[in-house]
Amino acid sequence: MRVFTRVLLLFLATLGCARAQDLPTGPEYLLKDPAHDPAWADLFAQLAPNRARQSQFEERRYFPFRKTPVVLKGEIRIVPARGLSLRYLEPEHRILIVDARGLLMRDDEGRERAAPADSRAQAITSALVSVLRFDLPALEKSFAVHGRRDGAAWTLAFVPLEPTLSEFVGVLAVSGQNGRLDRIEMVKSPTQRIEITITGTRENVIFPGDVLERFFR
Amino acid sequence: MGLLAFAAGCAIWLGRLDFRQKISTNVLDLIPAGEQAPELALIRGFANDVQAKVMLFALDDPSAPNVPPAAAAKRLVEELRKSPAFAEAVVMGDTAAQDALGRQIYEHRFELLLPSWLGKHEREFAATGQAREKFPAWLAERSAAELEAFLSRPEAAAMQGLAERDPLLLVPGLALRSQGLTAPGATAGGNALVWARITVSPLSEEGQGPVFAAVDAAFATVRAAFPGVHVRWTGINRFAAASRARIESELRLLNLASLVAVLGVSCIFVRRIYKILHLVPVIGLSLLGAWTLSTLVFERLHILVFVIGSLLAGVAIDYGFYIYMQPSERPDEPYAHKLRRLLKPLLASCLTTVIGFSLLLFSELPLIRQIGLFVGAGLLCALGAAMLYFAQLERPMLEGRQFGRLDAGRNHPSVRKALRGLFVVALLVALIGPWLLHWRDDIRQLDVPSADLRANEAAVRALFGEGSNGAIYLTQGKSVGEAREHLEDFTAYQAKLNPKGSTASLGLLLPTESDWQAMPARLRELGSFDHDFRAALENHGFVADSFLPFFTAFEKLRSHPSGGEYSGVAKMLEGMLAGPLALLGNFHGPAFWFLTVVEQPAGAPVPAEFHTVEVSQLESLNGLFTRYRWSALRLSLIGLGLVIASVFAIYPPRRGIRIALIPAGSCFFVFGLLGLAGQTLNLFNLLGAFLGVCLSHNYAIFSSDNATAHTAPPVSIRLSALCTAASFGVLGFSRIPVIHALGMTVALIVVTALLAVELEPLARRRR
Repeated sequence: MRVFTRVLLLFLATLGCARAQDLPTGPEYLLKDPAHDPAWADLFAQLAPNRARQSQFEERRYFPFRKTPVVLKGEIRIVPARGLSLRYLEPEHRILIVDARGLLMRDDEGRERAAPADSRAQAITSALVSVLRFDLPALEKSFAVHGRRDGAAWTLAFVPLEPTLSEFVGVLAVSGQNGRLDRIEMVKSPTQRIEITITGTRENVIFPGDVLERFFR
Repeated sequence: MGLLAFAAGCAIWLGRLDFRQKISTNVLDLIPAGEQAPELALIRGFANDVQAKVMLFALDDPSAPNVPPAAAAKRLVEELRKSPAFAEAVVMGDTAAQDALGRQIYEHRFELLLPSWLGKHEREFAATGQAREKFPAWLAERSAAELEAFLSRPEAAAMQGLAERDPLLLVPGLALRSQGLTAPGATAGGNALVWARITVSPLSEEGQGPVFAAVDAAFATVRAAFPGVHVRWTGINRFAAASRARIESELRLLNLASLVAVLGVSCIFVRRIYKILHLVPVIGLSLLGAWTLSTLVFERLHILVFVIGSLLAGVAIDYGFYIYMQPSERPDEPYAHKLRRLLKPLLASCLTTVIGFSLLLFSELPLIRQIGLFVGAGLLCALGAAMLYFAQLERPMLEGRQFGRLDAGRNHPSVRKALRGLFVVALLVALIGPWLLHWRDDIRQLDVPSADLRANEAAVRALFGEGSNGAIYLTQGKSVGEAREHLEDFTAYQAKLNPKGSTASLGLLLPTESDWQAMPARLRELGSFDHDFRAALENHGFVADSFLPFFTAFEKLRSHPSGGEYSGVAKMLEGMLAGPLALLGNFHGPAFWFLTVVEQPAGAPVPAEFHTVEVSQLESLNGLFTRYRWSALRLSLIGLGLVIASVFAIYPPRRGIRIALIPAGSCFFVFGLLGLAGQTLNLFNLLGAFLGVCLSHNYAIFSSDNATAHTAPPVSIRLSALCTAASFGVLGFSRIPVIHALGMTVALIVVTALLAVELEPLARRRR
């Protein structure tokens, strides 16, 4: 059951891109009250998934025992009322759904496997869903939020407050330009991390019923 | 004196009985303990000894619907563990326990998982037809390729640390294969789940009262500490207790209703109703005799025998009515003379019925054997008691109201024609209707339905991940090794049937005995594997040196391969298991088995060669019940044949035909009617028909003289038949399917037979 928890954490960390050494995790970047920080409030409002979106993604998994990263490609769909859906197209077809009920894996034949309902998995799932939704009041309960802006570019780093969460997730970081999310990263160490680059985002997508049924629950 | 001694003897025997031990409410006790099919016996044992002791609890907090109340669940477990009624209790999804098991499996991966891994790859290599010496290089390349492919899976990110130490993917591979077993709890939403096992059978009193008390106490403690938490729970003992309560309640209600119905009918036909009390000792002695003999002969009886057996009163009362209501030939006729006069129809009626019921003793189904003995013994006791009891009375005569025959228009040919037409229609119904009958055999009809508990159970079990599209199978063998070999064959069979489906089994944690024995030799053949695997890893983009701990451990194993007895490995695995996982296999004789979860609904039965059976146990026994129904039908028909043959031996052919046709015709007419109405019948309709035929047989015999003399049937027959129809008709309203089937069938047949007895002489031309 831990597998699901870890998978969830690792996949959700795929919403941004910043090299590990560049993450703004120092005290100078700590946002004490991000929800009410006028420098960030407008960005959070833009990033909050209040519109249906679809993007392409490329995920790079770095392992300490591999010379090159493993590359996976696919599509991300976000529907505010339903959650997030990752559709892997390469190297294998697979769907990963993250929503308020937790994590669900679905294969091409429609077979599903849900993440466990144990308290640890629930806590982690809950925290990561909050990241995904940029739900700041909830995020502040589980993470210290750090941020850095450089012109139109911005980076947010979420450092877990709980050691358990930290052990599973490492640091979660998201970055982009203006109101657009470009990269997600989950960094446990320089050699052990996942980066997801997001491209081709389309906003206000209207998903037909069969698409919603296939990619969400 | 004799009657008193008999009653005292029976009372002493019954008074000393431990009824809780003697009487079973377990539906599975209706299946023969020594059922020939071993897998059915195995399921019976599994359901009784393992599955039945499990209790499931789901806790939720309505004020925080998405957050499982884990602390409350933990507290509940602590409280349940304090009670001696519970052997164990665990919080599902307890990561500490899972992590501990994971660590143990990892530590013993070379004993538990490597033999199977080596065996599987060796067989795949053999299929390539390559030279044997190329195996290490082939295995190295294959392992590196599998590791690379694994890293593309979603699960890889979660298991990367493990993969580094275990590049052969022994443990990650197991984790992926075992997801079907670890799924429980995954669908729990905001519920915290607790799994518990009680110490004694849930079907015994100790498995109910004390367990419920412990549960109540634990709930009280939990609610005091966590006031908002709501608990749902289920267990076989809840069903057993509800079933017993329902049967007891129905017994009281139906018996009371039957009594009222019988009294109502009696009031119509009997002048001095209080005199009917003289029939009570006859019925009482009949039931007493039946209870005593049944408990003497059978070690354990199902409660349904007594429920159905209470209907014996309806048959037993016939003899009392017939003797008691028979007018004397002359005012000073002695009782002995009167009895001699009635002896032939009484014995013909009783003994032929007893012969019929005695045949049920040859049934394969214990319940039918028990009913056969109970009713047979009860009838003999009823006849004996009636003959002896009324001898004690100074003037044994119950005056009845003779309403005369329904023959107001007996001299009108049109009435006769109409009646003949009616009989022709009845004949057509009897000949055609039975072919339209549908039979449905479902063991659950033996159980007492409890809709609320079933809905609750379905909801709780769904939270535990049960009731999904998958199927559960049980594979057995005479030893752990044999069970594991059969499991290997079964999983290969499943893989062929459903190549993309997932199959999970505790047994897959254990190597087959042949792979275990072959491992040392196989390891010796892998002399160059270390070198080959390093090279293959580098070729596939890995840093081979990262896997140094694996290479060290593997080389150590090759130098000193694991040895020892196969039973030792099984014992080691068994020692690691606790809670629900421990119930997924049985490592102790006489039956060794493993459960397998297949992500595919059960299809056709598994061929016998795999020694595997699907474990939706109750449904899978329905086929068995079809067999029992045919057996009961065969016995009933033989019994009917014997009864008819006995009648022809006693009576002249013309009267014999009438006596045989009335019960048989009534029975087939009722089945015909039910067939035309599209009713679905079961084994117990058949048993009811048998009982109805025996009763009708009595009426045909007792009215035989009157029919010949063209006089109205004796009032005793009308009274008896209407009392029986009323009391069985009441049973037709029972919510217990078995009782309903019996009551409805008997009442319809008896009413039909009475109508036949009344109308048949009117349809004949008076000579």
